Amino acid sequence: MTKQFDVIIIGGGATGAGVARDCSLRGIKALLLERGDIATGATGRNHGLLHSGARYAVTDRESAEECIKENMILRRIASHCVEETDGLFISLPEDGLEFQAKFIESCRAAGIRADAIDPKEALLLEPSANPAMIGAVRVPDGAIDPFRLTTANLIDAKMNGAEVLTYHEVLDFLREQERIVGVKVLNRRTGETAEYRAQVVVNAAGIWGHEIAKKAGVTVKMLPAKGALLIFGHRVNNIVINRCRKPADADILVPGDTICLIGTTSSKVPFEECDNMYVTTDEVDLLLREGMKLAPSLEHTRILRAYAGVRPLVASDDDPSGRSVSRGIVVLDHATRDGLEGFITITGGKLMTYRLMGEWTTDLICKKLNISKKCTTADVPLPGSREKEETVSRRMHSIPVAQRESAINRHGELAEKVNVQDAEHRSLVCECEEVSVGEVKYALNELDVHNLVDLRRRTRVGMGTCQGELCACRAAGLMAQVGKYCTHQAKQDLTNFLNERWKGMAPVAWGDTLRESEFTMWLYDGVCGLGNDKTKK
Amino acid sequence: MMKFDTVIIGGGLAGLTCGIRLAKAGQRCAIISSGQSALHFSSGSLDLLNVLPDGTEVDNPLEAVKQMPTLAPSHPYAKIGAERFADLAADAVELLTGAGVAVVGEAVKNHYRLTPVGGLKRTWLSFKGYVTSDKGDALPWKSVALFNAEGFLDFYTQFLSDEMRKMGTECKVHTFNLPALEAIRQNPTEMRSANIARIFDSEETLNQLAEIISREMGDAEAVLLPAVLGVDCRDGVAKLEKRLSRKVAVIATLPPSVPGLQVQTLLRRYFQELGGVYLLGDTATGYKSEGDNITSVYTHNHGDIALKADNYVLATGSYFSQGLVATNGTVVEPLFGVDVAYDKDRNNWYERDMFTAQPYEKFGIETNADFQALRGGKSVNNLYAIGAGLMGFNAVKEGCGAGVSMLTAINVADRILSKR
Repeated sequence: MTKQFDVIIIGGGATGAGVARDCSLRGIKALLLERGDIATGATGRNHGLLHSGARYAVTDRESAEECIKENMILRRIASHCVEETDGLFISLPEDGLEFQAKFIESCRAAGIRADAIDPKEALLLEPSANPAMIGAVRVPDGAIDPFRLTTANLIDAKMNGAEVLTYHEVLDFLREQERIVGVKVLNRRTGETAEYRAQVVVNAAGIWGHEIAKKAGVTVKMLPAKGALLIFGHRVNNIVINRCRKPADADILVPGDTICLIGTTSSKVPFEECDNMYVTTDEVDLLLREGMKLAPSLEHTRILRAYAGVRPLVASDDDPSGRSVSRGIVVLDHATRDGLEGFITITGGKLMTYRLMGEWTTDLICKKLNISKKCTTADVPLPGSREKEETVSRRMHSIPVAQRESAINRHGELAEKVNVQDAEHRSLVCECEEVSVGEVKYALNELDVHNLVDLRRRTRVGMGTCQGELCACRAAGLMAQVGKYCTHQAKQDLTNFLNERWKGMAPVAWGDTLRESEFTMWLYDGVCGLGNDKTKK
Repeated sequence: MMKFDTVIIGGGLAGLTCGIRLAKAGQRCAIISSGQSALHFSSGSLDLLNVLPDGTEVDNPLEAVKQMPTLAPSHPYAKIGAERFADLAADAVELLTGAGVAVVGEAVKNHYRLTPVGGLKRTWLSFKGYVTSDKGDALPWKSVALFNAEGFLDFYTQFLSDEMRKMGTECKVHTFNLPALEAIRQNPTEMRSANIARIFDSEETLNQLAEIISREMGDAEAVLLPAVLGVDCRDGVAKLEKRLSRKVAVIATLPPSVPGLQVQTLLRRYFQELGGVYLLGDTATGYKSEGDNITSVYTHNHGDIALKADNYVLATGSYFSQGLVATNGTVVEPLFGVDVAYDKDRNNWYERDMFTAQPYEKFGIETNADFQALRGGKSVNNLYAIGAGLMGFNAVKEGCGAGVSMLTAINVADRILSKR
């Protein structure tokens, strides 16, 4: 029997999750399909910057205005995903001060607070910033955790009746005349195929939306623009540092949790590369060179890893850098555009505007389904952000402070679902990120975790300085214990996890990072013998 | 000034082996040790040669090593030569035994050890009391009882029991709790191997464990445990065997490796008993030279007091222990700045699959056939390099890390002794 939904959403990034939540809050029965894990595309591969919009104020007023509005909304509805750090736009001698005046004027015109401050004061606020700066402007930038944000949207969607299937890939569309009526999907974990039907199918697959559209028989021309970033092992800065000039390579340094991030580069890549992107030596060198201009101490800071995402820009011209293309939101109703009913593409935009993208898409879905309910996602806080941290903390006062705070920090009031009542559950799996046995079990049982990489996105296991050296094996042991998989799969999973970590470490594997890599290899390949494992299935 | 016959920089397996050999022959030696070494994550076994550089698996290292000069001319074993290799391997066992490290295994035939995730892996010597097998696909028992401390996350009973079952050994898993465990469990980061091992230094705790095991082991042929049966107490396995009248054996855990710590301690004590000076927690910071000779070494703790010796041995390990230091385009030996063989293009340092041989592992210190280090292509008369920092081999892929450390150490010690 084919299951029937009102709407099927393809893509488990922030946008798809935002659409699913909005639909569910308006009573529309939604199914979200994701071919891998949630937040694996551009959503999980960016700065995690809560843009104030200042960056776009001069070049793209519309984007700037959207940004600052959503910025203020996210502080309200997603407080457990947001860190209110503020941001600085610093002018270096080579930049001059000419841009600054225009910048402040444009910010204010777009509704973004922008205060010029004395460089000396800026250095007091952010001692890591380049002391050679000749000017500084303070703006309401911040940091946002995209994994947490996507998870929270999906938790709310599910609480309101949505279904979420990860590791489900859309193979084909079901159509009746000039109408899309459903999809045929492959469960990538079991190898089984199934069909799901809905009145509307939404293509929210980011850069992969190009292929999805093709499968539906329509053309959405996209431009894959790779952006590479570096993660440092220490939180060098507490305030976002930007360069006060026209947007260019490697000019944003964002603090997040215990680390900080420099990015990005921008280069056109072929579609074939989007699934498996490697950061090149040249990109690493460029990021370091430019990053040091923002915060000179980066020169001596350990780099944890490098990674790259693909911006799902809708191609409008053949700009090789991909930077002059608008970051604007693109909603395509293929009924009016191509004469294909029941199919919508939502693309363009950025992490900052995921909620607005969800709203516009759901408005269009409502129109098609004749539903008149209004959007409430800007007003209803996400699960995890519904209570003040202090209130939750008070209720959990019997839990030792380290585990209590890291759990609340990651899960907001949902931290109460984490069982850390006894010593065994309080035992730490991951020491770098303070992840307890109880938190791992909560993620395994409630947050659609199928492997170690999924677990990392929900709990930060393996994201710290050791990059999963010991915690990976501990977590795999726990997963086998709760029956998530058999021993053979567990070893396969460990190997995959370690290789996924290595992929990010190899481009920056010198100094301490190489020491850590060598140790990991000795341990897993040498002591454990995972590399030449010939055990039977 | 402090005057020695030989100063060894690095107090891991290679440095200690070299120091013991020299001290035993009557030399006055100093070892400068930062305190950490690869022994701290030992598997409970020492590898000699498991796989040849061309991928051929090795049953008899003594035979296989003959191919080394053709397969990998710059390999430390190729420099040693097959004939001397056999003698050195025998010397290594004798040295370990002398230090009180009881081992099983022989160089003429590799045996198998059980890994922490339940696989069988070739090896040369295993510390006594560990699970080993003569076969690569079966254990010596039909049934075992596997015990783990409740809440100890660095030991994988599930993996072990599954794999043992596949090998035809019935395995029943038990967990135990003890009053002494409750105390360390209160701190979320304390349930680690070395802390657990410490509780079994107490005879009383070991007896409590024996009681639980004897109640639960049923008629299993052997009782298996994580390698945490005491730090100072080294005969935990024997004591349990006596109490239980049953075969008892241990399996390696994730680091820190308790047996590794024990071996490091035994070797260090032996070295000191032989009159060696072990400068623990110190780091070599500089040196002076005259012509082709090193004349003194300086350390962090001793400031401008020079350590002088006739010969110097570099046993500082590879990247992990900072015997080699990589920047984003170079690999250097940081103390003496001796020649290091490496690829100048960083793009060629790595393989994308973590589990294929990584080219950076073969980078290392260049030496002549006598393991004298080179500077500007010319050998330094009285500076030798041994162990993991040497070029031309892959310790993990070839399964030869401990062998290279011990054999090059003894080889160099003998060279130094023959100089006089």
